[in-house]
Amino acid sequence: MGLLEATTQLRNLLGTDNVLSRAEDVMLYEYDAGVDKGLPGSVVFPATTEDVSGIVKIAVAEKVPIVPRGAGTGLSGGAIARDGGIVIVFTRMNKILEVDVANQRATVQPGVVNLDLTSAVEKHGLYFAPDPSSQKASTIGGNVAENSGGPHTLAHGVTVNHVTGLEVVLGDGRIAQFGGKVAEGTGYDMCGFFTGTEGTVGIITRITVKLTRKAESIATLLAIYNTVDDGANSVVDITREGITPTALEMFDGLTLRTVEEATHAGYPMDAGAVLLVELVGLREAIEEQAEAIARVCLANRAREVRRARSEAERALLWKGRKNAFAALGRLTPSYYTQDGVVPRTKIPETLRFIAGVSEKYGLRIANIFHAGDGNMHPAILFDMRDPSQLERTVAAGAEIIQHCVSVGGTITGEHGVGMEKDKLMPLLFSESDLEVMKLLREAFNRNSILNPQKIFPTTRSCRETGAAAISPELRKA
Amino acid sequence: MASVANAQLGRELASIVGDEFVCDTAAPLTGYAIDGVRPATWVIPQNANEVAAIVRVANERRASIAVAGGFTKQSMGGVPAQIDILLRTDRLNRVLHYDPGDLTIGVESGCRIGDVVSRVGQDSLLLPLDVPRSQQASIGGVLASAAFGPLKHNFGGVRDYCIGISFVTGDGKIAKAGGRVVKNVAGYDVMKLMIGSQGTLGVIIAANFKLFAAPKQTRTFIAEFEDYSSAIKYRDTVRTSPLTPLCFELISPRANAYFDGITNERYSIVVRASGSDTVLARYRKELGGSVSHELAGVEETRFWKSVQDFGETVQKRHQNAMVFVLHLAPATLEQVMVSAEQCGLEQNLLYCCVGRASVASMVCAYVPLSVDPPAVTQFANAIGELRKKLPPEASAIVLKCPREAKAYFSVWGEPNGDLEAMRAVKQALDPNGFLNPGRFLF
Repeated sequence: MGLLEATTQLRNLLGTDNVLSRAEDVMLYEYDAGVDKGLPGSVVFPATTEDVSGIVKIAVAEKVPIVPRGAGTGLSGGAIARDGGIVIVFTRMNKILEVDVANQRATVQPGVVNLDLTSAVEKHGLYFAPDPSSQKASTIGGNVAENSGGPHTLAHGVTVNHVTGLEVVLGDGRIAQFGGKVAEGTGYDMCGFFTGTEGTVGIITRITVKLTRKAESIATLLAIYNTVDDGANSVVDITREGITPTALEMFDGLTLRTVEEATHAGYPMDAGAVLLVELVGLREAIEEQAEAIARVCLANRAREVRRARSEAERALLWKGRKNAFAALGRLTPSYYTQDGVVPRTKIPETLRFIAGVSEKYGLRIANIFHAGDGNMHPAILFDMRDPSQLERTVAAGAEIIQHCVSVGGTITGEHGVGMEKDKLMPLLFSESDLEVMKLLREAFNRNSILNPQKIFPTTRSCRETGAAAISPELRKA
Repeated sequence: MASVANAQLGRELASIVGDEFVCDTAAPLTGYAIDGVRPATWVIPQNANEVAAIVRVANERRASIAVAGGFTKQSMGGVPAQIDILLRTDRLNRVLHYDPGDLTIGVESGCRIGDVVSRVGQDSLLLPLDVPRSQQASIGGVLASAAFGPLKHNFGGVRDYCIGISFVTGDGKIAKAGGRVVKNVAGYDVMKLMIGSQGTLGVIIAANFKLFAAPKQTRTFIAEFEDYSSAIKYRDTVRTSPLTPLCFELISPRANAYFDGITNERYSIVVRASGSDTVLARYRKELGGSVSHELAGVEETRFWKSVQDFGETVQKRHQNAMVFVLHLAPATLEQVMVSAEQCGLEQNLLYCCVGRASVASMVCAYVPLSVDPPAVTQFANAIGELRKKLPPEASAIVLKCPREAKAYFSVWGEPNGDLEAMRAVKQALDPNGFLNPGRFLF
C-alpha cells in the first residue's frame, strides 16, 4: 500500500523510464522559483490524457497525493509536493494540437511553453496575449492553473480571459471536457472556474485558447522622473485620462540602476523612477495616445519622455524589464518578492508605506511592478546567511501585504496563493467564504489527493520554508 | 392545505423582513407569474443576513425560491413546477463603493443597470452592460443570465469585467469571492460560476466591476450586402484589418423591421468606431465604398438602442415569437445563418437576427407568419433541426417562446461541457436543490 505500491503500478502504466523515484532524481522537482520546498516521492511523465487519468486512479487507490507541475517557474509553491506523493510533469505532453487561424484559436497540451505558442502562430499575425515574465520557460498548463498575468495583460486581460476550452482529469480519474472553441453556451462556466484553481480541483490535460491579432502600430515610451511619487501620480492620471496602455510598468531608482548595469538598456542611472509605457492599436490612435501620455507625464514633472525609435530599442527596454529580477541578484544574495495589488489611486501611498517599511526593518526594497493595474512587486533584499535578516524580511513582507489589503487590495495579483500565502487568505476571506470554496474543491477532489495543503490555510505548524531555497537567478515577476 | 402552509411561511418570512415586505395575496402576485406560474409569496429583503435567513427558512420548509430583480429575463428557462418564494432584490439597491479614479464600482444586485450606467457616465466612465431593457434590468439578473449587448465585441462578456461577488448559497451560507481590484488571483473564481447560473447556485447580493473610459466621440458605419456570403466576407476583411471597432454587428434583412428609423432590406455589417476625427477618417478609408450610411449623434444613439433591445422588440410585437441566442465559432457564422433561415422556413417561421459578427454571439428570432397561428411543435421542430445542424460546441439557447412550446423541447439544449461536473457544483452550493428548480439543467 501507499507510495511504494503506487510507484510499482506507475512503472507498469508508464514504463520505467517515465517514473523517477531515486532521491537524487526527484530532488530536482522539490522546489519552484519561490521560497518553499517539498520532496516528491516519485515524479512521473505521462504522454496522454489517459495516462494522467490512470495516474490519478492509482493515487486514489493508494491514497497518495498528486501535484501537477509545468516548468516549475511558479512563485507560490503551487507545484511543490508539500505532502510528498506523486509529481506529474508534462514535458511529454507538449504538443500544439491545432492552430485554427479562421477562429483565432489554438488547442494545446499543457506542457507547451507559453512563448512557443506565440512563435508558432506569429506568421499568421497572431499571438497568445498572456505574457508572464517566465514565458520563455513556463507552460500554458501552469499558466492556466495559476491564472497567470504579465506586463501586457493590462489591456488584454489575464489567462482566464483567453481560455475557451479545457479538458480536465478530475479527482477520481474521470476525464471531463468543458467549452472548446466556443467558450459560452449552456451550463455553468466551468472553464472560467477551473482556471486559477492551482491544481486543486483537477489536472488540466488540454487547453483551447484565444489568439490575439497583432496590432498595426506599437509605441513604447519611457518617462523619467526624479521621484517615485511623480511616477506614481502619473499612473493615476493616465488611468483618469481614459487611456489603457497595453503595459504600464514602473521601476524605482534602485531597480533602475541595477537593471541598467546588467542590461545597458539605456535607462538613466540617476533617476528616481521610470515608467515604461506601451501602446498598441491603430496607428492614428496610438500617435494621439502617445502624445497624451507624454503630456500627462510631463505635467507630473517627468524630466524627460523618450520613445523607442526602433524595434531594437523597444526590445532592449523590455529586456531590461523582463530580466529586472534576475539583475537584482547583483545587489543581494537573496530577495523576497510580494505580489499584492492595490487600487491604482493608492499606488503613491503604498510606495511611501513600503519606503517606511524598508526604513523600519533596515532592509533595502526594490520596486518594479505592473503599475497600470496596481500589482506591486516589492523585492525585499536580504542575506539569507543572517537569520535575523530573514526574520525581518518575512515580517516586512507581511506588513506590506496587510497594507495592500487594508487599502482595498488583495494578497496576490498573479503569482497565486499556493503554499506561500495560504495563511494570508483569512485577511481577505471569512471562514464562510473559505468554506464555500472548500465545498467546491471537495466536489471534484473528494479523496483530497489533488495538490493538498494549498490555497486554504492549514493548521500545520512545521512549514518547510528554507531560506536556502531562495535562488536569486530564478526569481521572476 | 397549501394556503395554511403558505400563511405559515408568510409569517416566518415576515418575522425576518417585516410585514410590509412580504406578500401572499393572489392579486399582486399574479403580476409576477413566471410562465403562468404564480408565486405563493414574495419577500423583499434588504441585506445579506435577511437573504440568508429566508434561504434557511426555505430549506427547513422545503420551499422553492426564484430570485427576481427587474423581471426582464424571467421568460428564460423551463416552466417552474411551483414557486413557493419569489425573492425580490428591489431593496438590495445600494452603491457600496465607487472609485472613479480606480475605475471600479461595487453595487448591490437590485440596482438597475441603467442607473449604474448613468451614474458612472457622469464621470465619463463606462460600464459596458448594454443589455436589453437596461432601465429595468438589475445587476443580479444580468449576472445570473450572463446577458450581453453589442459592446461585448470590444469589452467581452460580464465574466471579463466582474471582479468580485457576494452571494448566499442555496443552504444559507453568506460568502464572497474576488475583490475590488482589477487583478486578483486569491481564492477560487466563484464569479465565473455565478455568472450565467440562472439563479440556481446562489442568491447574488452584490458585485464589483471594472469600469472603462467612455468613448469621447463615436461614429457608426453601415455596409450593405445582397447575401450572407458577401456580408461575412466583408466581416472577415474588417476582422483581419488593423481596425479595432467598439461594436461590430451583423444584421439580417428582416431584423431591420424592428429598428427605429431604419429601412433597409439587405444584410448589414455595422461598425461602431470611437476616436478623434483623424481616427474616424482612417475608419472611413479602411471600410471603403461598401459603407452606405454613416450615423452620428441622436440617430446613432437611437440605432444602438434598437440593436440592444432587438429581442425585446420582436417579442413585444409578436407575443408568439421565439427569441434565442446562438454562440458560435466565428468561422461557422455563415453556415449557421443559412441553416437557421432554412430550419425556420420549413416550419413557416421567418428568421431574423442581430448579433456580434466577430465574436459570433447572435440574438435571433423565429417569427410566425401572420396568416395562421403557429402550432407549438413548429418551434420545437425548428430549434430541434437547427441544433442538429449546428457545428460541434455551438449552442442555441431559447430566451423566450410561448410557454406551451416549452413542453416539447429543452430551451437549453445540450450543455457545453461535462454535465456530471456541473451537477457536482450544483450539489456543493445548493445541496437541497431549492434554488430555481426545473428552470435550468438541474
